[in-house]
Amino acid sequence: MTGSRVDLDSEKMGRDLVALVLTVVELLRQLMERQAIRRIEQGDLSDEQADEIGTTLMLLDQRMTELCEQHGVRPEDLNLDLGPLGTLLPRD
Amino acid sequence: MTERGPETSDADTIYVFAVCRDPDPTDVVGLTGVSDDSAVSTLSLGTLTAIVQTVRAADFTDEAWQARLSDQRELERYARAHHDVVSAVAARCPTVPLPMATLYHGERRVREALGEEADRFRAALRRIAHHAEWGVKVYAPPSTRVDRDARDGRDEREGRSDRLERDRRDDPHDPERAPARQVASADRTRPAPGAGLAYLNRKRGAQERRERGQNEALRIAEAVDAEVGGLAKASRRLRPQPQAAGERRVQVLNATYLVAEHRAEELARLTRTLRERTGARIELSGPWVPYSFVGEV
Repeated sequence: MTGSRVDLDSEKMGRDLVALVLTVVELLRQLMERQAIRRIEQGDLSDEQADEIGTTLMLLDQRMTELCEQHGVRPEDLNLDLGPLGTLLPRD
Repeated sequence: MTERGPETSDADTIYVFAVCRDPDPTDVVGLTGVSDDSAVSTLSLGTLTAIVQTVRAADFTDEAWQARLSDQRELERYARAHHDVVSAVAARCPTVPLPMATLYHGERRVREALGEEADRFRAALRRIAHHAEWGVKVYAPPSTRVDRDARDGRDEREGRSDRLERDRRDDPHDPERAPARQVASADRTRPAPGAGLAYLNRKRGAQERRERGQNEALRIAEAVDAEVGGLAKASRRLRPQPQAAGERRVQVLNATYLVAEHRAEELARLTRTLRERTGARIELSGPWVPYSFVGEV
């Protein structure tokens, strides 16, 4: 009747599930990225190692963008509101 | 809606809007309230007075409320009706608003239940007399840099926004950017050496910028809260409201203050000063009936 009612639309549910899976993958990717940045800042990695890791993360990032496009998910959909804890992924 | 159980007796259900001190009974004349069947009236509780209306029990069963809560328009109608009565009374005398749909079976129950809480009401009335509630919302100052990131996000991901990056600071890996640019067009092939390092440096820059922006926004929020809190009698911080879809600005402070009536002008001036000083968007709303300051005593 109104917008606040729950609408069980199977296509939308499918898309939501894809968005959730992609959110988790993106979370892991960002965690790895932060870890890599931290290790670079600590001087743990040689330039070659850092470049290797950076390239891998960059390719994953590109792949994520492609997957989002394929599934009609916007990058800003890849997030969860955790209530008082804020959002799962940082927002710009 | 007219179906009702045998246990409910129609004439007996009383909706209470507010509790106040020494209202003029004519203050409530002409108010519609939440029902068309009867007038809004006053009910004396000794030194306190309740603002009440007799309603049909059938309109206020749990089921009826559940239905109403899921129907935005109905809910709004009732919220407005409730609020109209509360604000009309509050404009004339110190008033403690009660939550929407506060109902009792009969006048005797109203007297019993509210009488038990008389001390709490009296304390709340003392606190809010000649005070109003003002809402203050602070939004992080717009960062042009962030906006460009958002628009150029895709390009940056593909390593094309190095010009922006160079503007920001000297980057030792800058000369290595050129190969990174070719990677994007070469699609699936392995990026050239240095592209990964440049990517991580870009990300590091973005991360630092985000953290700096967040720290700055939080600092502004704390400063605004401290300054406004300084001229308020009491304050409450609420959880910042999440960003609406498509909205770029981020709320960093959502607070409400109990401010003496004679300091309203001072508050408006302070808000203007804070706006100029911080560059943040600061929204001041009010005066409201002090709903947020009548609860716990």
